[in-house]
Amino acid sequence: MTFVCVGLSHKEAAIAVRERVAVAAEQAPGRLRELAALSGIREAMLLSTCNRMEIFAVADSHGSGDDLLRSLGPVAQPHAVCRFGDDALRHLFRVAASLDSMVVGEAQILGQVKEAATLAQQAGTFGPELSRALARATVAARRVRTETEIARGAVSVSSVAVQLAHKLLGSLEGHSVLLLGAGEMAQLAARELRSAGARELLVANRTPQAAEDLAREVGGVPVSLAELSTLLERADVAICSTAAAQALVTREMMAKALKARRYRPIFLVDLTLPRNVEPSANELENVYVYDMDDLERAAAQNRELRAGQVGRAEEIVDQELKAFLSRLRESTAVPVLARLRAHAESLARAEAERTLAALRGLDDRQQKSVRAMALAIVNKLLHAPTSRLRAEAGDGPLGEAAAALFGLEGEASLEPKASATEATAAGSDDEEGTVLPLLRRP
Amino acid sequence: MATILVHIALIAYAASAAAFLTWLVKPHTWLARAGRILMAAGVLVHFAAFGVSLGVAGAGLGVSAWKGGQLFSLLAAVTVAGYLVLDFRYELPVAGAFVAPFTVAVMVPAHLVHSDSRAIAPEISNSLVLFVHVGAAALGTAVLALAFGLAVLYLASEKQVKNKRPGRLLARLPSLELLDRAGYRLAVWGFVFLSLTIATGSLVSREATGSTFPLEPKQAFAILAWALFASLIQARLVAGWRGRRVAFLVVAGFVLLVGTYVGLLSAAPVLHGTAA
Repeated sequence: MTFVCVGLSHKEAAIAVRERVAVAAEQAPGRLRELAALSGIREAMLLSTCNRMEIFAVADSHGSGDDLLRSLGPVAQPHAVCRFGDDALRHLFRVAASLDSMVVGEAQILGQVKEAATLAQQAGTFGPELSRALARATVAARRVRTETEIARGAVSVSSVAVQLAHKLLGSLEGHSVLLLGAGEMAQLAARELRSAGARELLVANRTPQAAEDLAREVGGVPVSLAELSTLLERADVAICSTAAAQALVTREMMAKALKARRYRPIFLVDLTLPRNVEPSANELENVYVYDMDDLERAAAQNRELRAGQVGRAEEIVDQELKAFLSRLRESTAVPVLARLRAHAESLARAEAERTLAALRGLDDRQQKSVRAMALAIVNKLLHAPTSRLRAEAGDGPLGEAAAALFGLEGEASLEPKASATEATAAGSDDEEGTVLPLLRRP
Repeated sequence: MATILVHIALIAYAASAAAFLTWLVKPHTWLARAGRILMAAGVLVHFAAFGVSLGVAGAGLGVSAWKGGQLFSLLAAVTVAGYLVLDFRYELPVAGAFVAPFTVAVMVPAHLVHSDSRAIAPEISNSLVLFVHVGAAALGTAVLALAFGLAVLYLASEKQVKNKRPGRLLARLPSLELLDRAGYRLAVWGFVFLSLTIATGSLVSREATGSTFPLEPKQAFAILAWALFASLIQARLVAGWRGRRVAFLVVAGFVLLVGTYVGLLSAAPVLHGTAA
């Protein structure tokens, strides 16, 4: 049995390729069933996001990698990468921990991985091995998020603006956002603020028509730019991106508005040049003015901080992966031992019976001695391999070698497979249990 | 027995301080959780120590004799309890990083001053008013100490936003709005307890000395602090003051309140009246 990962990401393929091979959620069950039907594939999960299309599978042998690769189709095939065993698992752990993401430390990927697991479970292609691996990858991802600062701080201008708005105002629910002008980045920031819970989005532009069009586009309310003073009394965040040649929001205007708004803090985001807000307005109490340079500086600082945390995050992934592999090998080594002993003992018993049948006239004591001798030979023969396999604790190649030497590989499939639920329950770690609800769904 | 319990509480506070301070550098969730648990354990043991010592005293309302450090020890315990309530409501581990070391800093000298025993004037030692006075003073000071802590955190993080250099402190803290709101609420509660302390204090003083408002540094500082908090609340309600200037006022008010305790310590070696 081996883990396989086949697919492509933003590192291997441009967006033009990725968009052609992406699999929509509604197509996923069909694709998953096709994958599971391939020879030698025991379990499969399909992760398709904007930045990657990858299949994580458990297969009987490396040979299944070729079948999975072919299943990606002619567009993806030239770009796709095939990983096996420890490499495939490491990749899964790194993907879940957001170390393989385009923006390292982004928060969405872990949710997307879990969603992929749910889809696979619904399609009936998710099994105990993938479940165990994913549970441990989730633990690693959580540790990376809490023990490093890889996810701290926004790394784009618009998200820095949203994060600062949160730091100033707390929850944005009940707060009002004013959008001045139609700059693309301003629209993006306004949309993010709106989706973060802002109560209303006021849209002001040069002409009423332009304001109406933009308001419709971003889901806001059109207002007149002529009422700017009143709007500054009402809004808690103002995003400015007009093409005005001089400052629209002056210090004097803001000082007046401040009294009227009873010193409630206001966050002015100036995303244009020449600037729309007089920089000296920042000197007023409870008025915070951030221009493009300020936001970009904060974003760059966060990017640097994240980059500096990658080493520590990789260490955590290594630790968790090592622990997982050790447990995995341990759990595979013990059945090999048991099977080896059972196989040898059954051979010894069969040979002893055949010998006893040939040697008629032996009394009970003598028959017992023959049987004991056969088993003693087995024990003596297996003593050294048994202690070596135990000493290896599943952390070396002897388990697989023993299975291959004694022809026990085929017998593995005869053993009843642990259910996915059992597999997850086997992970005693609290956090590993987080995948449990996924698996218990009907 | 009480002393052993206080020492155990002190060890728990010190461990909690270590956990919270480490959390500031390495923000592992378990460190903040450990800090909280140790602090809660410490405060339980601390209050148990008070219970034991009151049981041993066994006289009237238990305030028949106060050691110099005991009042500060009580203040520390109430501050910690107040912080735990605040943390439960707003989740403020960063404030724990200030409250825990502050508690240790108050407790260590408080328990080194064993011999500085102060007698209570016998005519008031069993007075209910004195009990309410001490209780309100402890609660008020604890609540205002927390408001002071939040105000300092507000000023430090607001400076980072204003100077456009958002740093680690800002990342660890909740929003400025929450710090401002929570700090103001605490200031209001502190003001209520302070008013009660002053009112009951004047009654205690009249019972013990016959004078309602003896003009001592303790009373002067308390009245000044009360007036400052009253103005703060008035400015917030009427003019809508908030943010930096309110934080500065809270800091100033708390400093005046500390002056009250300095006045208390420098007063005659008999509390609330003449020596028996």
